[in-house]
Amino acid sequence: MLQSSPLNLRRTVVLLGRLFLGATFVYAAYSKILHPTFMLHPWFAFKFAVQANLANFAGEVETFKFLSAANAALLAHTLPFIELVLGLLLLIGWRVRYWLTAASLLLIVFLSVLTRAYLLHLDIKDCGCFATPEPLNSMTLVRDSVFLGAALLCTYFAFVEARKPHPWTAPS
Amino acid sequence: METFSDFQCPACKQLYLGTSRQLNDNYVATGKVFAIHRDFPLPGHAYSRIAARYGRAASQLGRLEQVEQVLFENQEKWEQTGDVDGTVASVLSPGDMTKIRALIKNPAIDAAIEKDLALGRTYAVNQTPTTVIHYKGQTYPVVGIVSYDVLHQFLDQLLTQ
Repeated sequence: MLQSSPLNLRRTVVLLGRLFLGATFVYAAYSKILHPTFMLHPWFAFKFAVQANLANFAGEVETFKFLSAANAALLAHTLPFIELVLGLLLLIGWRVRYWLTAASLLLIVFLSVLTRAYLLHLDIKDCGCFATPEPLNSMTLVRDSVFLGAALLCTYFAFVEARKPHPWTAPS
Repeated sequence: METFSDFQCPACKQLYLGTSRQLNDNYVATGKVFAIHRDFPLPGHAYSRIAARYGRAASQLGRLEQVEQVLFENQEKWEQTGDVDGTVASVLSPGDMTKIRALIKNPAIDAAIEKDLALGRTYAVNQTPTTVIHYKGQTYPVVGIVSYDVLHQFLDQLLTQ
């Protein structure tokens, strides 16, 4: 690419990576907040649907057997909103290296919990990852490893690029 | 309110034990809600269909409540052994069991289960439990487990509409 272009290889990887990871986090949040029960109207039905979905997700978290029922409920009522905010921040692209770091840390936690459950042969009928019910299996671990690999690579590239002057910066 | 349920599904058991019984006491018994049990045996569960047959047969004798309760409460046991008959027999009289054993051989029982499955598909049911609430021409499908506290708030608001 031309030296004056803002898109060298690393920047292109970061751009594509953050869009992919951002969209994935937003979809994951949508899957937990508005699925499987979907009602938008009237307001009390929407509120009920969200409560029912988060309670369902809490049940899925409980099957991983690493949190008490109360803590699983607390996590289920906060994690989808963290995913939503993180996903939107990645899509917006503001302070992207920090949010990529946060995404990497979150994906490390996800992968650790999934790997632990897989090694313990826990009967996870739905990992709670996305809208479609998905039993925990080796493919789930492979997919999350790919997400984590992408997040780590993008984080590294984002920090490397942040140390350099932006290609559009006027020479001093 | 129609609940599409599978006797071998753990989430259905949770819904039954945690929500349905309180719902029956506070809304169904008081006439505020008309509840219907719909069979939706999932193909992945080895004994769901036979349990549904026993449930259907029991409902013809007016014994669905006892059979539903004993099947859900002992789900972990009979899903290991497949002993649906013995589980149901533990709460019914020998006379009722004789009638039920005859009824489950009737093709009409399977036809009724198929009818529920077909009805579920029209509501796009693809997992159990799924509760479909109808009120004033509106349909509210609720997928999965809903706690009684959350459901009763919704029903109270719905009933005041």
